[in-house]
Amino acid sequence: MSKPSSSKPSSSSINRRGFLAAGAVAAGTVSMPWVAGAQAKTIKVGMPTILSGRVAQLGTSSRNAAQMEVEKVNAAGGLAGRPIELVIRDSKGQPQEAARVARELVNSDGCEILIDAEASTGAFAVHEVARDLGVLCIHTNSETSSLTADPKLRLPNAFRCARQGIHDSAVGGTYAAEIANARNLTRWATCSPDYAYGRDTTAEFVMYLKRFAPKVEVISEGWPKIFQPDYTETITKLLQAKPQALYSCLWGGDLTSFIDQASIYALFSQMQFYAVNMADYTALTVVKNLPAGIHSGNRYVKTFPATPQNAAWGDAYRAKYGEYPTNWAWQNGVVINFLAAAAKKADSADGKKLADALRGLKIDSPLGADGTITMRAEDQTIVGYAIGWGTTIAKEPYVPEMKSTPWQRIFELEAEWKKEKGFA
Amino acid sequence: MMRPAFRDALLGLTGFLVLAALPLVFVSSALIDFVIRCAALGLFATSLNLLVGYGGMVSFGHGLFFGMGAYSFGIIMQRTGMPIPLAILLSLGVAALVALVVGAICVRLKEIYFAFVTLAFQMLVHSMIIAWVPVTGGDQGLRGGIPRPPFLGINLADQKQLYLFAAALLIIGLLAMRHIVSSPFGYTLRMIRDNPVRAGFLGIDVYRTRLTAFVLAGMFASLGGVIMSLFVSGAYPEFAFWTMSGEAVFIVMLGGTVAFLGPMVGTVLLLLLNDFVTRVAEHHGLVLGIVILIFALGLRKGLLDFVMDWIEARRTRRGAASLVPAPSPERIAT
Repeated sequence: MSKPSSSKPSSSSINRRGFLAAGAVAAGTVSMPWVAGAQAKTIKVGMPTILSGRVAQLGTSSRNAAQMEVEKVNAAGGLAGRPIELVIRDSKGQPQEAARVARELVNSDGCEILIDAEASTGAFAVHEVARDLGVLCIHTNSETSSLTADPKLRLPNAFRCARQGIHDSAVGGTYAAEIANARNLTRWATCSPDYAYGRDTTAEFVMYLKRFAPKVEVISEGWPKIFQPDYTETITKLLQAKPQALYSCLWGGDLTSFIDQASIYALFSQMQFYAVNMADYTALTVVKNLPAGIHSGNRYVKTFPATPQNAAWGDAYRAKYGEYPTNWAWQNGVVINFLAAAAKKADSADGKKLADALRGLKIDSPLGADGTITMRAEDQTIVGYAIGWGTTIAKEPYVPEMKSTPWQRIFELEAEWKKEKGFA
Repeated sequence: MMRPAFRDALLGLTGFLVLAALPLVFVSSALIDFVIRCAALGLFATSLNLLVGYGGMVSFGHGLFFGMGAYSFGIIMQRTGMPIPLAILLSLGVAALVALVVGAICVRLKEIYFAFVTLAFQMLVHSMIIAWVPVTGGDQGLRGGIPRPPFLGINLADQKQLYLFAAALLIIGLLAMRHIVSSPFGYTLRMIRDNPVRAGFLGIDVYRTRLTAFVLAGMFASLGGVIMSLFVSGAYPEFAFWTMSGEAVFIVMLGGTVAFLGPMVGTVLLLLLNDFVTRVAEHHGLVLGIVILIFALGLRKGLLDFVMDWIEARRTRRGAASLVPAPSPERIAT
């Protein structure tokens, strides 16, 4: 008996050929990473970040800034002679996916360094991967203070190159208290997202505010859910409470929605508004009618620090990607500068030697308060970055002037906080 | 003829041996991670299928037990440091207790009401996890890693040993569930699914049977959660969020509800898709959405069910062609 296929020889041979071709393509695709790995002595740097969902814009800006700096470093010879290859993956903002992607980057893709560009929950998950695998890992987007401040969580191979909640609160509290004392603003309200970041940051801000302006009392608290679309309830509650000033650490789309909705009720003509996360281009450019006089911490604006280097950095980014950098962007740019400087100091791209070199390393940076940023040795987190508060105007440069607090003062306040928390 | 239970055990043992031999053939950490995740999600999805496929109870809140397993195991290990097997048993106990309470309220309800009340309980637990910061770590999850002290010479801090451990738990879990669905209890459950009134007239306590199934499903889901928490060395609120339940429902749809291993096939498929697509495409949501559409509109059933039906149909055709024109037997859930 003949095989059924023999009656149609032509179609069968095409199928087989097609199958073989598909197989070859598949084999080629699968083996590509190994071939690539064997060809050059590139150093692969893995970067899990959020490229989908509501925070995608920030994740994309992290990727952009890191790539921009990598190009510069590679043009100058790479990490101790080894060109950097960024391997970037989306974690969708899910911690278990962040852990999976981070493990895969190290175990399958051969990444020797992790730049963890995750928001906080993802960062804690990647932190555990770093603990398990012992790979050099630098968190670039989590601002949760305990990530580096809590000695129980500390790892010799994990660093943070991002601003920290406690620093922002110390500066914000000091700044707000000065104005509160001068203008006799005693009745305050808060409106922050209802999750750990919102609650912790608000509590720290209020703590410093009350400390430097003892007459202040908080008469109303609003805790809208994160990603809540409608703030009418919170806004009417605020209008009824009639505070003289309002603090908020809403961010991104939440902050812009809140401002747009509150503007309808003319909320900002009735009270001073302190929004720590306002001065980021993602928020500044999205608000329909940006009210003048909103007080904000600097996230990223190219006018602070007011140096030609910073303006040039922001403009270069804009020229390349068609928009201004974000707060996440500068942090992911600076981390590449840190790696380059550490490789130069250690004359090696080995993770362990890089970690040793990073501890206490000071680099020149347009984002530094005095033109430098330091990776503090004791808790392996950056200090000395530009940090300040100012008020907005409706168009560029949006925040013409920022007022900064000297880092020495921030250190004192931070040390007290650490003592209270049992971290020091 | 071999007894079914013996055959299943033999198949399970073979499955385990194959899994155990895999790392010897392919030296790849990614493969090891993949199988561990498959074990966690596979147990979770198969346990959901106990309710959906065998009990006819579509639960939208099954992630509750997955999260419960991860959290209770993580908290027990971080706070007491008791031996891991004991902690796992205790976590299963906690999940069973919670399932008993939730089930006692839910299983009386029909269809959409059952689905929504389970969802409501899940959101309740999710909110508790977020709010009870001193115990659960709030929305940052359980931080600082889950200690994995060696027991009986097994060190789960070593990924290879964790792999074998997860594979063993998966096989044991699947065998246990297989045993449950092939037992008289399993058939009673199917009867209730098809016609609860009739089952009641036959003297079956419908409520108790459903509740038992609910508790058992909750326990196996929490075992999946335990494996996941061992894998990520932590526990996160997302584990108990509705999206987690949605993922399990999707897996069951993808793999099939009739064949016992349908959800397992679905798990492998989903994870492969997820890992591959996120690697090559930025808009992976689009690709996954299209795949869902293909399954929902094209196959109209899970992959394994489709394959089984196809084999069955072919066999029937052959049977019809060879002399005896027998009427095709109705396929029953196995």
